[in-house]
Amino acid sequence: MKKALIVLEKEWLELRLQPTLLLATLILPPLITAFAVAGFFVVGKISSGVSLPATPLPPEFAGLSLLEIGQAIIGKQFSTLFLLLPIFIPSVLASYAIVGEKRERTLEPVLATPIRTWELLLGKILAALIPALGITLLSATVFVAGVLTFAVTDRVREIVVTPGWIVAVLVDTPLLALIGVALIVVLSSRVNDPRTAQQISAVLVVPVLGLLFGQLAGVIVLGPALALGIGVILAIIAAGALWAATRLFQREVILTRWR
Amino acid sequence: MLLRVAHAIETHGLTRRFDGRVAVEGLSLTIEAGTVFGFLGPNGAGKTTTVRMLAALIAPTDGDAIVAGHVLGVDDTALRGSVGILTEQPGLYDRLSARQNLRYFARLYDLEPSRADAQVERYLHLLELWDRRDEPVGTFSKGMRQKLAIARALLHEPSVVFLDEPTAALDPEAARTVRDFVKGLKAEGRTIFLTTHNLPEADELCDGIGIFQRRLLRVGSPRELRASLFGAGTVVNVVGDAARYVPVVRTLGFVREVRADDNTLTVQLDDPDSRNPELIDALQGAGARIRYVEPLQHSLEDVYMRLVGGHA
Repeated sequence: MKKALIVLEKEWLELRLQPTLLLATLILPPLITAFAVAGFFVVGKISSGVSLPATPLPPEFAGLSLLEIGQAIIGKQFSTLFLLLPIFIPSVLASYAIVGEKRERTLEPVLATPIRTWELLLGKILAALIPALGITLLSATVFVAGVLTFAVTDRVREIVVTPGWIVAVLVDTPLLALIGVALIVVLSSRVNDPRTAQQISAVLVVPVLGLLFGQLAGVIVLGPALALGIGVILAIIAAGALWAATRLFQREVILTRWR
Repeated sequence: MLLRVAHAIETHGLTRRFDGRVAVEGLSLTIEAGTVFGFLGPNGAGKTTTVRMLAALIAPTDGDAIVAGHVLGVDDTALRGSVGILTEQPGLYDRLSARQNLRYFARLYDLEPSRADAQVERYLHLLELWDRRDEPVGTFSKGMRQKLAIARALLHEPSVVFLDEPTAALDPEAARTVRDFVKGLKAEGRTIFLTTHNLPEADELCDGIGIFQRRLLRVGSPRELRASLFGAGTVVNVVGDAARYVPVVRTLGFVREVRADDNTLTVQLDDPDSRNPELIDALQGAGARIRYVEPLQHSLEDVYMRLVGGHA
């Protein structure tokens, strides 16, 4: 475990030396949060010129005023983005930490030390997950605080910050992030460009987008039970992805099979 | 399983196959502690695969080995901690400074932070990189990168060091620095396993040489290899045409072969030290006026080409 922390420390040191990558990656959650809270606040202040969208509204919007509907839509849309961010950020960080290291041929000297491959893998996974989840959870907390402060009524608060959403943020997104990182490891055995790995791993965004559109269309209601159910499925997928990643992230495989 | 731990490196029938293709076949080798062993062979001969097996980076398909007192395959983590390896590519983190690179590896080699810092400083001084210690490695020349990679292999003071092409692509001055450093490592009592294409370098540095092409073709000291392939011999330079003395030399029973080329007679014989007086007497008896006599020298390149050329 000590060596995993040494790897993690080195990864963060390298990340600090890439300010552009660091900024481009980690600025996104605070930026989205700022837009979300500002939009939520502004919509709550507009009293005229607001019209309903042409698409049918979810049943939970029944009986809401135009202002409430405006805030609820903005809040719902932005809240789903917090489920997407932990997929995107660790994928970027992990692709540079693993594919980048493969491309620079720096893995062999590391593998020649007395480190165990699981320690190396764990260090790299944690180095990608911790900042991504940390910044996302912090931003989500600010978002919740903004919603609770600027919502025009309690009903808007209840619609945007639902128990299902909280469970999804706390349980499902870390699992999605883990799957994303594991997928990067699997892809690392085949690709030599971090951007290619990121683009392929972006496929994970699709189910989350499905959840977003399903909610907006009123087809899916993300309650705690559904969020937990999704969590169980994601946990199984994450276990499988980690198993595949561990199989590919072996000294022998890296040195003889990775091309 | 091997029972003796008498040598720095000892292998028995070490074999590695990749999907049915044999990369290394039945390598049996013994390397004494404190010596430099040159492992020579053409590209794709299996040298890097051998180094990777001996450094416990990949497992052999068959055979056993003891490296630095550790039985391969039993506790490979401990084995890796006892050897140092300079990989074919320096593999350094370009954004990190020389000091940060070495510090990371020192910690991975289980050195406590204070000891790690001391070792990093020691090797940066030894390899004349101290003045550039805080600069990103990406700004370093090829020679500096190679020296840093060598320092990395030595931070934990391993008793066995694998150097894979340490002077490849270096300018003559940098290559000389690296060679001198290797001599220093030998003087400290370390065992060096050196792979190189630079045959004069191998001749200069190595106590033992293994010529390898998927399997070990020949092993011995450079002198033994020359003698076993070409035999010993004497070169005699005479006044006038040397060819006229060939019949006289052929009458000597200990001579195996004689060749004349202008003023020079090249005589192959088994024991020059004891037979040269008789040879010189015979030539002088035949009226030869001798300018000089010297031992017949074959380069390591001749040895290599004879062996590898025959198996290419």
